[in-house]
Amino acid sequence: MSSLQAVPARYRIVSRAAETSDTVTLGLEPVDEPIAPHQPGQFAMLYAFGSGEVPISISGEPGRPGLVYTIRSVGAVTRALCEAGPGQMIGVRGPYGTDWGVTDAAGQDLIVVAGGIGLAPLRPALLAALAARERYRRVTVLIGTRTPGDLVFAGELDTWREQGADVRVTVDRATAGWRGHVGVVTQLIDRVDVDPVATLALVCGPEVMMRLAARALSARGVAPGRIRISLERNMRCGIAECGHCQLGPLLLCRDGPVISYQRAVPLLSVKEL
Amino acid sequence: MDGPIPGDGPLLMEAAALDSLLEALRGAGYRVIGPTVRDRAIILDELGSAGDLPFGWGVSLEPGGYRIRRRDDSAAFGHSAGPQSWKQFLHPPRQKVWSAHRTAGGFEVEAADEPAPRLAFFGVRPCDLRAIQIQDQVLGRGEHAGSRYAARRAGVFIVAVNCTEPGATCFCASMDTGPQAGPGYDLALTEMAGEGTHRFLIDVGSPAGAGMLAGVPVRRADNATAGSARSAVAGAADQMGRLMPADILHDLMAGSESAARWDDVASRCLTCGNCTMACPTCFCTTVEDVTDLSGDHAERWQLWDSCFDLDFSHLHGGPVRSSPRSRYRQWLTHKLGTWHDQFGSSGCVGCGRCIVWCPVGIDLTEEVAALQAEAGQAQNSPTAPPHAQTGGEL
Amino acid sequence: MNDPVPAAALADHAFLRGMPPDEVAWLARAAVAVSLPAGRRLFDEGAPAEKCWLLTSGQVALDLHMPGQANLIVETLGPGDVLGFSWLSPPHQWQFGAEAVEPTDAFELDGATVKALSDSHPELGYQLVLRFLATAVERLQATRIRLLDLYAAPSRDAGAR
Repeated sequence: MSSLQAVPARYRIVSRAAETSDTVTLGLEPVDEPIAPHQPGQFAMLYAFGSGEVPISISGEPGRPGLVYTIRSVGAVTRALCEAGPGQMIGVRGPYGTDWGVTDAAGQDLIVVAGGIGLAPLRPALLAALAARERYRRVTVLIGTRTPGDLVFAGELDTWREQGADVRVTVDRATAGWRGHVGVVTQLIDRVDVDPVATLALVCGPEVMMRLAARALSARGVAPGRIRISLERNMRCGIAECGHCQLGPLLLCRDGPVISYQRAVPLLSVKEL
Repeated sequence: MDGPIPGDGPLLMEAAALDSLLEALRGAGYRVIGPTVRDRAIILDELGSAGDLPFGWGVSLEPGGYRIRRRDDSAAFGHSAGPQSWKQFLHPPRQKVWSAHRTAGGFEVEAADEPAPRLAFFGVRPCDLRAIQIQDQVLGRGEHAGSRYAARRAGVFIVAVNCTEPGATCFCASMDTGPQAGPGYDLALTEMAGEGTHRFLIDVGSPAGAGMLAGVPVRRADNATAGSARSAVAGAADQMGRLMPADILHDLMAGSESAARWDDVASRCLTCGNCTMACPTCFCTTVEDVTDLSGDHAERWQLWDSCFDLDFSHLHGGPVRSSPRSRYRQWLTHKLGTWHDQFGSSGCVGCGRCIVWCPVGIDLTEEVAALQAEAGQAQNSPTAPPHAQTGGEL
Repeated sequence: MNDPVPAAALADHAFLRGMPPDEVAWLARAAVAVSLPAGRRLFDEGAPAEKCWLLTSGQVALDLHMPGQANLIVETLGPGDVLGFSWLSPPHQWQFGAEAVEPTDAFELDGATVKALSDSHPELGYQLVLRFLATAVERLQATRIRLLDLYAAPSRDAGAR
């Protein structure tokens, strides 16, 4: 039997939490043999019966039993997954891809920059760091989101602060009653205290936002090799045999989705690569 | 006679004995696939007998042109660049991956486990043999060692045919894949069809190959005949219609991202994807999830796909590679360049099919020469433009 | 209590980085140090614009009055930022309001004094204009990015060619 499964493992939804009007976090328990544990940053192909598969990054705390994914409804398959409820069965193939490597920040500052739903793939890395807080110097979380109502994991931010993270949120557009930061997330990067030689930065969000955030971090002196981003391309098989997720020399299901900004920069600067 | 041993020197077989070899293969449980004439082309299909081979048929090849023609001799393998390659048997165009059906508690999934057919490939050109090995690397090794491709591949018996007469669009010599077959065959034939004689020099490449000749009338080849066959193959290397600078291709492709030549080829390319269908190493697939009308039964099918298809790079409401320029660039830079980074070899074997089967006759050797010239000019020009920068203007 | 600002303290502010010490010294004549409690409104929309502030700590929100709702925040500024552009050119009227959302310290510059100093010391005027321009460009670019609505769900009509 191949180490790369082609047949989905069956899981049952045991919890469903609406994060925003179009984003849902599902908790899953295995029906069949559970898949190998995810590392933060990895993804699985989630299958909705009769609908299809989509690649979704793990968003739950590593080491806990079961699987947690945060899904935004943007198409037929994600809509089916977002509408599914506790008791329903879905298929899971994975885990695939590279991980954030958060332990590479041991003894150093960890900066996590999230844009929109990009906070979901970063959450496992952050939770892993907070669970071993003494291994890291400063832990800073900078979150950019569209409006206050679009903030995912809003109820956890205070817990993260209590566990020793400096969490700052900015919105592109305020709504009535918001008294926090208003502006692009790169403004938060400009204002935070950065130690250029002892920092690991993890960035996730829309590709434009990641480019801008990585540039802002570079401008503060963080080496491109110490900035990691999570790239996305059309994925079909997840197991490096269909050719869809190519970005230049990389097959993102195997060489990504997490790659260093240093490796990404020459690829992202070519239009339509 | 005693069973031949691999490496013990070539053998000789009369063309009349081909049926004996085919029967030996069938007797061993193989379905024999080989070239045959159909619909005014030489295609690959199951051979009922040696008579199905395209004796006396050759081809006229040019960019965007393929015609079969009558040869002066009765050679069975005097042709190349047919519309199909062996990949359709190892990596089928449509395969069911799994099926699933609804149950009270959810659904159940069954992998589609068809037993791998026992196939004998009869008439594999050296370029196509290398192409099979390239696909082995992509689809059948490492983490793919347990894949269905690997299962199909494990059972295949390969009778290669060395080339003595390259097609007008061939360039296997440049890509170091021919005209002599490299290791990986069970038997390799070199055809000698002349006045009054029609026979094959046979090289044994494996114990299975040796065993298959047990009941076939073969004799030790004399030095003169063997020498004549060898030099015919070696001579073919000097008759190639095209050349490729294989050793600089990876770096040339890597540096070509903003080349003007891509606009030139894009003005001709129809993005029809014929090249990807005909190419023996192109392997990209997509998956299709389908249900029946009741919605209770679902199947996942794997289908050939092409990077020329607009949907191939679909992301967030649109394709990443939208322009024909970007799609042609993706195909060529992958085939000749980033394939090295991903799989450790070139993706091109010099078979020339993409040249022949392109409806507008785009010739990748010509495109490479133009890219090389453009890169050379850029290097020598004192006003060479800097690499494209992302903007910072107002 | 409004204290005069020593030139050295002013020179430390990110907005004035690289300004020749002579010009900083002149500018210090127009500056006082202020401490604003949380909730203090610095100015309201429509009022005459006569000052600007170089923020050193805290957070100030630029807002717009919305009928029937609390003021809507359009941007927040913090340490290292300059607040107040409308004093530079006619109609010298604030286009937005501003409120300290946290206790905020700043150097408050009197607009009329800065203008008079710049008239007699053109180099100071040039240095200030360069910096205001750079800040305006930066905010314009950031605003363009916000208008892209990057975090919105992917649009179905995107990519039409």
